[in-house]
Amino acid sequence: MTDQQLALSARDVRMEYRNLTTRERFVAIETFSLDINEGEFVSIVGPSGCGKSTFLKIVNGLLDATAGEIKVRQTKAGRQDAMVFQDSALFPWYKVVDNVAFGLVCAGVARREAEQRALPLIKLVGLGGFEASYPYQLSGGMQQRANLARALTVDPALLLMDEPFAALDAQTREIMQVELLRIWNADKKTVLFVTHQIDEAIFLSDRVIVMSARPGKILADIKIDLQRPRNINVKRTPEFQKYEEQVWELISSQLQSAAGQFGGS
Amino acid sequence: MATLTKAAVPSQEEARPRFAFLRNERVLYGLLGFVVLLGAWEAASRLGLIKTSLMSSPSRVVEIAIDAFGSGEIWPHMWISFQEWLFGFAISLAIGIPIGLALGWFRKAEALFGMLIPAFYSTPKVALAPLVILVAGIGFEAKVVTVVLLTVMAVMVNTMMGVMAVDKRHYDIARSFGASRWLTFRAVALPTAIPFILTGIRIGMGRALVGVVVAEFLSSTMGIGFYITFSGAVADTTRVMLGILILGIFGVIVGELIRRVDKRFDAWRPGIH
Repeated sequence: MTDQQLALSARDVRMEYRNLTTRERFVAIETFSLDINEGEFVSIVGPSGCGKSTFLKIVNGLLDATAGEIKVRQTKAGRQDAMVFQDSALFPWYKVVDNVAFGLVCAGVARREAEQRALPLIKLVGLGGFEASYPYQLSGGMQQRANLARALTVDPALLLMDEPFAALDAQTREIMQVELLRIWNADKKTVLFVTHQIDEAIFLSDRVIVMSARPGKILADIKIDLQRPRNINVKRTPEFQKYEEQVWELISSQLQSAAGQFGGS
Repeated sequence: MATLTKAAVPSQEEARPRFAFLRNERVLYGLLGFVVLLGAWEAASRLGLIKTSLMSSPSRVVEIAIDAFGSGEIWPHMWISFQEWLFGFAISLAIGIPIGLALGWFRKAEALFGMLIPAFYSTPKVALAPLVILVAGIGFEAKVVTVVLLTVMAVMVNTMMGVMAVDKRHYDIARSFGASRWLTFRAVALPTAIPFILTGIRIGMGRALVGVVVAEFLSSTMGIGFYITFSGAVADTTRVMLGILILGIFGVIVGELIRRVDKRFDAWRPGIH
């Protein structure tokens, strides 16, 4: 594995917070190291509060790590990375097309041209015909499609996804998982996907990283050997269920230890 | 079936009734409420429930109004008050909105002046009147200054609150995509603030009207405020009522205009239209 092939390389990332009222420090992430190859789809799962979203924000530059080093490969065109946020991440005062074009406008592209370049991405995510709709006129699933399109328009070398389907109902979520794989198949971007849904992580990914409860460390790095392209039926296969059990056991051990910590309360 | 189709697609005649505006529920009920109120007032004065010498009656007000508008006695008063209102209100917006935006946007500005805002906001501005007279005299400028003093804070504070109401997630999105400070202001802060600014404008509109009347009460020889005090001094309650009605109708008209402007910014807000 040479350096060139790495889309992301994180070394010993540590994140500490200080509670402003109690002045107590707590460690959100501890010695977190992760390499992602170009074109790889990697998911991070872990109990809530384990710092998986925090790690994503550090990669994106929204947060500064206390220590450690993160390298994201720079491509010639497009942004280094782009984030697909959790729910309600569209500007309610912008139409779909303006929301999707926003990333390009940020990059200094003229609004008219940015809108032109947003159109094919809107089609790709299945929102053709809704370009002039406002977010409140869209369902949650459609909003997340626009959210995804906005990140794709800036052509990022690394696509970061922060529990993008967490707020959707179970059926819409499954549809969106299939849709995401279809869109991903088009140009096989490198994806770092954070979720608390085990089946979602396994279904989508080449590798699933399991994190411990806080302070977040890597418990396991599981390679998912399921043939691509995958369809939703793969979730019913014994191989898939074996992966699910494996991940679930790791996470439930964490939940028990967390429950032990709070046992007195 | 045929009748159904007819109901769904109104014919030409049906589409343009003579009183089309009455189709609008808002207008219809608004007028109805007005008529009911006037009717109650008229009835109360005719039945002797209220003294006509103190409260007058709608029929007398109409009588006097025809006279006042016909002879032209009221026009100069309305014109001068309107100018005071317009200048004061416009200056308040021109000062209040930019300063409000700056206070909301620049944390240091807010830290510097933020504490003074409630102090100034809660001071009865009328208390500054003697100062205004000393500084600006008793002419047109003094009236405008009084109007601005009464109006500007409402506009400014609402604008500031609007910028401060930005959802942190929206700032995160702008930052995540590398938006410049200026783009973040235009694309995130301003759209969030606009409904607040419009509220400030709506409140300011009324405050400015109060300012006009207060300024004219204190010292003037012209204007609706003067017309009301003068008529009151000679116990002409019908003319007092006429002055008050003119102010009220003016408020309704301007309020309606602002509502129209409001609507243009509302496309993205569900449930308002």
